Amino acid sequence: MISKKRPIEDIREKVMAMCAALKHGGPDDEGIYADEKTGLVFGHRRLSIIDLSQNGHQPMADVQQRVWITFNGEIYNYLELKAQLQALGAKFHSNTDTEVIIQAYLNWGMSSFSKFRGIFAFGLYDVEKKLTYLVRDSAGVKPLYYYINDCELSFASEVKALSTAGIAIETDPVWKVRFLAYGHIPEPYTTLKDVHSLPKGEFLCWDHKKNSHEIHSYHVFAHRTIITDTEEAKEAIRQSLNRAVQRQLIADAPIGVFLSGGTDSSLITLLANQQKHANLKTVSIFFNETAYDERMYQDLVLKEIEGEKFAHLVRHHDFEEFLPDIIGDMDMPTTDGINTWFISKYAHEDGLKAVLSGVGADELFGGYPSFTRIKYIKKMRQMPTASFAAAKYFTSDKYKKISFLSYNHPLADYLLMRGHYTPTDIATILEMDLREVESILFNNRQVPAITNYNEEDASWFEINLYMQNQLLRDSDVMGMSHALEIRVPFLDEDFMQLAESIAPEVRFDETQPKKLLVDSFSDLLPRAIWDRSKMGFTFPLQQWMREHKGINDESFYRGRKAKSLVKSFKKNTMHWSKIFALYQIQMHV
Amino acid sequence: MSRKIILYTLRTFSTTGGIQKMTRTLAHSLYHIAKQQQWDFKMWSLYDSPYDLMTQYLTHDNFAGFSRSKLKLGIYTLFKAPKADVVILSHVNLGLLGLVIKILNPKCQLWLVAHGIEVWRPLSFAKRKFVQRFCDKFICVSSYTKSQMIKWHHVDSEKCTVLNNVVDPFIKHPDEFEKPEYLLNRYSLTPENQVIFTLTRLASSEQYKGYEQVIRAVSRLKYQFPKIKYILSGQYDSTEETRIKELISACGVEKQVILTGFLNEKELADYFLLADLFVLPSRKEGFGIVFIEALTCGLPVICGNADGSVDAIRNGELGTAINVNDLDELEKTIAAYLERPLTVEARAYLQSRCLDYFNEMDYRKNLLRLINDELGA
Repeated sequence: MISKKRPIEDIREKVMAMCAALKHGGPDDEGIYADEKTGLVFGHRRLSIIDLSQNGHQPMADVQQRVWITFNGEIYNYLELKAQLQALGAKFHSNTDTEVIIQAYLNWGMSSFSKFRGIFAFGLYDVEKKLTYLVRDSAGVKPLYYYINDCELSFASEVKALSTAGIAIETDPVWKVRFLAYGHIPEPYTTLKDVHSLPKGEFLCWDHKKNSHEIHSYHVFAHRTIITDTEEAKEAIRQSLNRAVQRQLIADAPIGVFLSGGTDSSLITLLANQQKHANLKTVSIFFNETAYDERMYQDLVLKEIEGEKFAHLVRHHDFEEFLPDIIGDMDMPTTDGINTWFISKYAHEDGLKAVLSGVGADELFGGYPSFTRIKYIKKMRQMPTASFAAAKYFTSDKYKKISFLSYNHPLADYLLMRGHYTPTDIATILEMDLREVESILFNNRQVPAITNYNEEDASWFEINLYMQNQLLRDSDVMGMSHALEIRVPFLDEDFMQLAESIAPEVRFDETQPKKLLVDSFSDLLPRAIWDRSKMGFTFPLQQWMREHKGINDESFYRGRKAKSLVKSFKKNTMHWSKIFALYQIQMHV
Repeated sequence: MSRKIILYTLRTFSTTGGIQKMTRTLAHSLYHIAKQQQWDFKMWSLYDSPYDLMTQYLTHDNFAGFSRSKLKLGIYTLFKAPKADVVILSHVNLGLLGLVIKILNPKCQLWLVAHGIEVWRPLSFAKRKFVQRFCDKFICVSSYTKSQMIKWHHVDSEKCTVLNNVVDPFIKHPDEFEKPEYLLNRYSLTPENQVIFTLTRLASSEQYKGYEQVIRAVSRLKYQFPKIKYILSGQYDSTEETRIKELISACGVEKQVILTGFLNEKELADYFLLADLFVLPSRKEGFGIVFIEALTCGLPVICGNADGSVDAIRNGELGTAINVNDLDELEKTIAAYLERPLTVEARAYLQSRCLDYFNEMDYRKNLLRLINDELGA
């Protein structure tokens, strides 16, 4: 927190309160740094993964204390950067990646930000220049929320740190509208008023002399050559993904892999096994509900694996028991993440501090139905928008969503594919004016207009909206609630750049999802794993929620519309994620 | 006396170009004039949707976006336009609507904004009739456009008023002129690099902007100025991308030319600070709002001498106009600027001169006077 108005003791107290609120993600150590003259206090909770000694204590400074840092995440290429810096004469006193960030900044200034490969969010205070930088990784894996009010800047890894410390207390009056539409709260918004997430790949620079700030991308411009040859693409994918997995396995604490039985996590598991052999631990989940049981596919991969294998049964009973904890750990309401919460819990109990996950492959290589559906949207978009307004009178969800096409906005295209409730339903549920709901959802142009409606556009939507706001946010917050770091090799910066430089006709295939990725590793991946319908990392939640006493209790819900929705959920004509959203809203009415 | 003013536009907020920027400032000025005079002002946009509105320019109460629905705009016009005192059409393509308005409401003042190439050519029958018989006033963005209106459409010179575009009221005016460090990092530049900058739409259909000439000039200048860089910015289509890249490699300037693509509006002023010289030797600028944006950041400019650009540089006071077909002249002019880079004081002076000439306050006064004169207040 940075403030010139408050006494330093007051700031320190607030920062300590923030640290206490984030203790679950950093159980190993706590630290505070205060600079009274500047009115700056950094706090840190540590989850030690690299250099487990006290040398990793944070906030950390260089010997001359020119730079102070509080850092969350990992820099996977820290050893390469360290060697480069040593060649330039830098001296190191620990084996941490944190110290590499400091030295990189001292040597290269802010151009160091683009040299880091990893998942990170950090605050860095340059004592001489009187500047503080907040920096977030380019794939947006690690969260960074900030609040600027009346010449004060506060930031944290979770929204609740800012609210429990009493820094940002006003709720955003419209968060429920966004939540019901998306099923999560999309970046840059949060449940709190004026608390925003820093966009991925960007940094905020706070000038202590002027009490002002600027936000810019630190991305380094590079000419892209497009890969148009399939064989060349496959070879590049093999090399780059192997390198990403190798990089991300770096850890001084126990590391493992989540194995669901799907293509992506199987591939990551098999590649990680080639590096770690007997030291690689796998964690998987299974159910008594046979339709959701993936053990057959998991076993196909596990028999190739040398290391320790942990498999856990999740029962209906566990869901009932832990649901209140899960909701408490969410930080912000969301309709996903239950699966990650459970597997993170088990991974933590199995002694792991970091795991690799398969998130990102579907988005980069066309693993979702949206990659084909987007072409139908293009056709429908050529018809007059007014003709879709009537669709809101349909009772079936599938058809009702078509009414999104009556809004001439790219987010309406996204919500047609991924949305939960339509604006008309939201207005009825929340007893609001429809026009107000519409303007909350579509009142800005932060999303570029899409014109081609091709696979690349679908990939853009999936990466920047669904994965960013739902999958990555949920993974991180649920992992952190069990002091577990979730790493995502498919989102390695170099690998993503490679994927995006492959010509669309080579990268996507209409007949088979993720064909290029699968073909690149055809000698490694068992056919049975990829040659089946997509399952995803799915729990029997439809059944469990229908039997949950709280969720299906009509009297818990306020308003006629909500009650009638519960009825239709009980009749099994509605997806669980919609009722789960409605259930969470009730807690905040 | 209360007046009712309606501004019709095609697309103002959902895309960005010179015409859009001009129209935003016009809307902002009209909005404030109407507020001060307690008049009624509405802006109707055919292609924008209500969500596109940038509310810093005017409020939702004053704006209607019709999301391409010509029918809806037509209905609005039938019911509401007959009560208007002044109707301003921001583009000649709205001429047909103008005809309808004049038939419904012959007393209303019907004005047309004349920008550039859209009126420097023969018009279709309906548009011609509209321009020649029904339009009461032409707001020409430059003297050149005025002369073209008279030349092509034989309109009465009395009806043409030159109202130069002005600097967008929301663009940042820097008070320091250092090169932004984050942009130096982004393009791996050092402060010693001499940076020439062009910002324009790169469309294969609009091959008159002259950036090809700059690429050729850079290929000659790179020997004299080994640290020269040319940043060419603006959205491009794939045809144009291929064409430009071929030209770049044919000229051997792959190391000098940086194609950035679309620029984020909020970083625009920083790009002007990054550069040492702005060059757009275009043949068909109506006014060239980008020149005054560059000047607002203290950046000297080179423009073409045969279009509306000369108004933007005040006939040479603020910049240099050249013959765009003369590569030698372009090369020499760029070299002259690079040899004697502007001091901080000179940049500050350029900025203040530009703002003296092209500021919204004066624009508003002129606009108000124009309305009052025509309506006989």
